[in-house]
Amino acid sequence: MVNCLSDLFQAEVEETLKRIQSHKGVIGTMVVNAEGIPIRTTLDNSMTVQYAGLLHQLTMKARSTVRDIDPQNDLTFLRIRSKKHEIMVAPDKEYLLIVIQNPCE
Amino acid sequence: MPISPVNSRKQLNLTVNIGSQPGKSISFTGLAKGAQMKGGYIGANQSRMAMSKTMLIVSDVKTTEKMTISTTKTAIQVIDAHGVDVTPRPLHHPDPHTGAAKPNKLLTSQEGSYTSDFIASYSLYQNTINPSMLGQFTRSVLGSSTVSKSSVSTTESMAEDLEEPSYKRERLYSFTDLRVMRSTPGKTVTKEDLEKTIEIILTETETMRFFNLPTVMVSVESEEAEKLSWRNKNYETLCRNRLGNDLYVERMMQTINGAPKNKEVQCDRIIKEDKGIMSTAWDLYDSYNAMELSSLPVKQPTIDSSSKATVPSKDWDQRAPGSTLEKISEGSSLMDIENVILAKIHNDEENHSDAVLKSDKFQQDLFFMERVIMENIFRPKLAAYRQLPVLKELEPEESEIFLEGEKLEEIEEEVKKEEEEEMEIGSEQSTIPANLERLWSFSCDLTKGLNVSSLAWNKTNPDLLAVGYGHFGFKEQKRGLACCWSIKNPMWPERTYQSPYGVTAVDFSIGAPNLLAVGYHNGTIAIYNVQSNSNVPVLDSSESPQKHLGPVWQLQWIEQDRGTTGDDKREILVSISTDGRISKWVIRKGLDCHDLMRLRRTTSSTSKRVEKEKKGEALISRQAPGMCFAFHPKDTNIYLAGTEEGHIHKCSCSYNEQYLDTYRGHKGPVYKIAWNPFCHDVFLSCSADWGVIIWQHENLKPFLSFYPTSYVVYDVAWSPRSSYIFAAANESRVEIWDLHISTLDPLIVNVANPGIKFTTVLFAKQTDCLLVGDSDGQVAVYELRNMPTGLESSRGDVIENLLQPKSSQSITHHQ
Repeated sequence: MVNCLSDLFQAEVEETLKRIQSHKGVIGTMVVNAEGIPIRTTLDNSMTVQYAGLLHQLTMKARSTVRDIDPQNDLTFLRIRSKKHEIMVAPDKEYLLIVIQNPCE
Repeated sequence: MPISPVNSRKQLNLTVNIGSQPGKSISFTGLAKGAQMKGGYIGANQSRMAMSKTMLIVSDVKTTEKMTISTTKTAIQVIDAHGVDVTPRPLHHPDPHTGAAKPNKLLTSQEGSYTSDFIASYSLYQNTINPSMLGQFTRSVLGSSTVSKSSVSTTESMAEDLEEPSYKRERLYSFTDLRVMRSTPGKTVTKEDLEKTIEIILTETETMRFFNLPTVMVSVESEEAEKLSWRNKNYETLCRNRLGNDLYVERMMQTINGAPKNKEVQCDRIIKEDKGIMSTAWDLYDSYNAMELSSLPVKQPTIDSSSKATVPSKDWDQRAPGSTLEKISEGSSLMDIENVILAKIHNDEENHSDAVLKSDKFQQDLFFMERVIMENIFRPKLAAYRQLPVLKELEPEESEIFLEGEKLEEIEEEVKKEEEEEMEIGSEQSTIPANLERLWSFSCDLTKGLNVSSLAWNKTNPDLLAVGYGHFGFKEQKRGLACCWSIKNPMWPERTYQSPYGVTAVDFSIGAPNLLAVGYHNGTIAIYNVQSNSNVPVLDSSESPQKHLGPVWQLQWIEQDRGTTGDDKREILVSISTDGRISKWVIRKGLDCHDLMRLRRTTSSTSKRVEKEKKGEALISRQAPGMCFAFHPKDTNIYLAGTEEGHIHKCSCSYNEQYLDTYRGHKGPVYKIAWNPFCHDVFLSCSADWGVIIWQHENLKPFLSFYPTSYVVYDVAWSPRSSYIFAAANESRVEIWDLHISTLDPLIVNVANPGIKFTTVLFAKQTDCLLVGDSDGQVAVYELRNMPTGLESSRGDVIENLLQPKSSQSITHHQ
């Protein structure tokens, strides 16, 4: 019973991931676990590892900043907008969800 | 080097020598004495002393002076060859001058020759020490002082030493004064004296404090007053004479250092380890929290990790070791255990990644991520929807920040100018005509090809929209779909509820905003809970015996006062359907239905004829199919119902058999009725006879009618902002009418693409946007731009204004 639900979730998760990947301007989607090992990725391995490593550090720093100001607060989302594209990170203790998008105006 | 008592004799020699060579020899010998006394010198020093002895007369005392002085610190027992304890006394002893105030006890306590000798030697020693402490005076000064003086002083000091050891040494000036003061009795040294063995008893003194110089106050009338004043005067003269005096010359001395010996020691390498930790505020907070949590009893779960997909991720670390330990306890042989462990670890790893994907948090993050992406894609459109100023994206070639800053300012100025322009335009006449700008459309693969039949906003969340998809005609029936869309994600609906029947009506509840009522073409009504993810309706009327037999054309949640039972406002769901019933549904133990009204067929003839025809008619069904209804915005007891016949009946909830009034004007089925939100006497209706009619409450005849096209008008809606503006959707186009400007032509006309019919319209409440649903499954969001700013547009006297002749109309326009 529980497995069925989790499978349902899994299906929905897959669907949502697929949708995100197919959206306009999305360059890449990555789900990386806490050790930096990619779980799902649409980019090549070297780029994934690079992004994961760098963003992991940045996320730690950002979270540390947020929590230093108020320990009851926590980081939920991180967006880095650059000239070429925007990197969106949804951090968690277990994983990092990274999406790189080219925002078109 | 043992020091023989010869030294003592030497001292006597010294005294003899004093006269001859006052400066050098005295000090020298004195040094020797000092060395002997102390006994703490290292051998070298003593040897030097010995050397110095030989050099008795001609040596340069400077060096020895310093030598002695530098090495007079230790207190070691020195016993010479004869077993005499010759441990020198400690260096510090009170200066004889300190005892000036006191009566000269020493003089009275002369005991034996040894004392005098000792005293003499001691005084000499003192002489040498004193200058060293000061570093100012040379041995010549010392030399100038006579032994006699010193001896006296020494006796004094000795006595003081013995009696009052707390005296500290004084400075030399006092000493010199003392020296000056004293008159030393000359002592002739005979040969006998030289060969005499002199007993020297050395005792240890008590601890003395260094340099405590308390002020000594002497009464003028005392005996010593005179002496003191004389001494003081002498010292002053001495001080004055000091400068440039030969007696006061700076000299330097070189000490001979002992030969050092190096010793090397080797030990094991000390291994160092650096450990650092950054203690942050949140780290401390977490630790304290963890301590509190651990104090509560926490049971380690022992079920399989795969079923823990819903457990929050924080426990994951606690779970994993627990589960692996479990597996370790199983198994009989080592091999088995290892295999099991390996297998489980592998599983755990897999489970980890799976669990990550399955976790709720991940889903939520995906959800947010999608919305964020949408925001990026639709940013200007959403901004326009929310009526936020849209700043144009800067050119990528402009890399200088300064330029960017300027540009921003320019853009801001532009925006301001635009606003000003708009205001100007608004006050005059708009040069740009009012138009609809299409922002985006809600559509996805699921909805392609379906006909939008109804639209409804959520009552509490203004971003949530319910759309019902279903065909109107009987023959065109396909599957139906009810979707909840969010403004924040125009590309995928938040919820989808599929059904085999077409959806004909949707509405969100007011009291419980998560309830969505959906009416189907087969007459069933289902209520969904939008908050949950399940697709199963909460309540369904399909089993109810009183369900509708025909398509439910309109649903609305109404809050009604139940004055009779004394309850608070209770919400009911009202539905109207082709079977001629207007029913009220109440959620008690399921959907419970009561009929509010049974619509009966009436004709458009007069009342007389009605009676006749009632008897004579042989109608198959006396029910008139209801198409739409509208409750009065103020009085929820009164409502209007439109039928397929084209009549609009005014009914009351109190009567379920009779109408209050009937408005006759339409020739075809009335598809929609809408009350004016500002003027409660006016309502609007549209029908399949291509017409839109504005009615006045009291008047049973149409007030204004519009027949712009020859197409069926499916939907009308009043604008929430202005009482003059309404929108009408017919098959080929959407029209926005502004009664204030013209009653003959619509203000804006938006023509549909060929093949697509517009079926529904809905105004957005807070913004100037219009939603239009069409027959292709798309709900397009249009922004109303450059609408004429209505002056006092929310006035309720629409009809009066319209009734007035044109001249006065123009006056009101320019108010």
